[in-house]
Amino acid sequence: MAASCALLSAGAARSQSSRLEDTVNEVLKDWSVDSALAYYHENGRIQAIEPVVDVSRVYADGSALNFNLTFDALSGASPNGALTSRAAQTFASPSGTSLTGPHTYTTAPGQLPVDPKYHDQRLAVGGNWTLPITRTDQLSIGGKLSDEHDFLSATVNASIAHDFNDKNTTLSFGVSNEYDRLSPIGGAPVPGSDYTLFEKTGGKTKDGVAGLLGVTQVMTRNWLTEFNISVDRFTGYLNDPYKITSIIDSAGDTTGYAYESRPDQRVRKSAYWENRVAWSSQLSTALSLRYMSDNWAVRSDTAQLHLRWVWADRDRYIEPTIRWYRQTEADFYTPFILAAETSTTGYQSSDSRLGPFQALTYGVKFAKKIAGPGASGGSEISVRAEYYQQTYDVRVPVPPGLQGLDLYPGLKAFLVQVGWRF
Amino acid sequence: MNLGRLSFLCCIAGAVVASGCGSIGIKPWQRDVLAREEMRLDSDPLDKAIDDHMYFSKEASSGGRSYAGGGCGCN
Repeated sequence: MAASCALLSAGAARSQSSRLEDTVNEVLKDWSVDSALAYYHENGRIQAIEPVVDVSRVYADGSALNFNLTFDALSGASPNGALTSRAAQTFASPSGTSLTGPHTYTTAPGQLPVDPKYHDQRLAVGGNWTLPITRTDQLSIGGKLSDEHDFLSATVNASIAHDFNDKNTTLSFGVSNEYDRLSPIGGAPVPGSDYTLFEKTGGKTKDGVAGLLGVTQVMTRNWLTEFNISVDRFTGYLNDPYKITSIIDSAGDTTGYAYESRPDQRVRKSAYWENRVAWSSQLSTALSLRYMSDNWAVRSDTAQLHLRWVWADRDRYIEPTIRWYRQTEADFYTPFILAAETSTTGYQSSDSRLGPFQALTYGVKFAKKIAGPGASGGSEISVRAEYYQQTYDVRVPVPPGLQGLDLYPGLKAFLVQVGWRF
Repeated sequence: MNLGRLSFLCCIAGAVVASGCGSIGIKPWQRDVLAREEMRLDSDPLDKAIDDHMYFSKEASSGGRSYAGGGCGCN
């Protein structure tokens, strides 16, 4: 009797498992799934883990749906903007309201000041719907919502694409609108205010609108080119609420700190050009160039080359990548404020991301096709690694007391990613 | 904007397109190579998204290939 019950129970479990499997297979038959898990690590600073999943479905009428989900968990030490000094420096953590007590941290002499307890988590969801309007026109609308404990961002976008010239040419135009709400820990600092006064207010907002005009052209049987012009404009509270700037005297001693103060409007314009060429049945390249400038006087050039080599009946490929990036500093960027001088514009930031630097990325990806779920019965697994290095080119004369210190240590980071799609 | 640099990039792109005008484009039955996954402009979207997030949080520039917004408080 007991044996019969066990057999019946096992049979029921198998039947249930089979039904579940059928349901899963039925769903996967129609949807494509792309997933990845990335680990990012900066030398002595931030590390992050980022799982991402993206599902999409193409319908018989040519329309397509896409949803994606991203989660980030960041932790580690983040530079607070202050300058390295020969003396120890004490700072308040973001929630602190005093330079003494438990909510403080101290940076040793000669070390770059970093908030050692930085942590954040982000959850982002997005979706996109593409539908054909006519045989040659396509409309796409989408949205994205991203939430962190001190930041909320909502974006909507729409674009239209028109094919002509035997579908060899595609013109597209898109617009996007972004709304961001900042709720910094401890409040949003009054821009430019004295750090020791802790003048902070409640939440702040910023808004962005963007437009993008693009043309895609099939040049030959194995050459595709794309050229985009884009403009975006952000207004509102554009400061990083956790960044401060050191105030130093002529000897190089730190006499105080001020919260950074950026203009409340930023307009960026960029030109982007990409060429994809298949050199043979096995070798192809993707070369992209980008030029960007903004009304903060930042100019940047970017060049990136992907080279893909496929083999084993197109079941495997390896893809080395190199990227070169260079930017000039914003006109209000300053690594420190000299106590005797005042800014002519009232704006200042020591955020190194607005400073002058070059960056190089080296990467490689390996992918292999294996059996898997889904309509095709196949899937692709991949592993990718990248090394990223920033080198600063700040040419501001420093007082004698600071000479010999590594004031601009740059950044070294690596990224490892595994992926599975089917 | 530095119109000189932008004009230069536009001219180069225009020259490349113009130089191929004689034989530009292909017939529908010649799309075999362009149909390969690596020839799609939107190939590897997750790689691009993860890279864009890294660059957005570390550099003053973003976008170009698509919209520049980051949806992230990291910059």
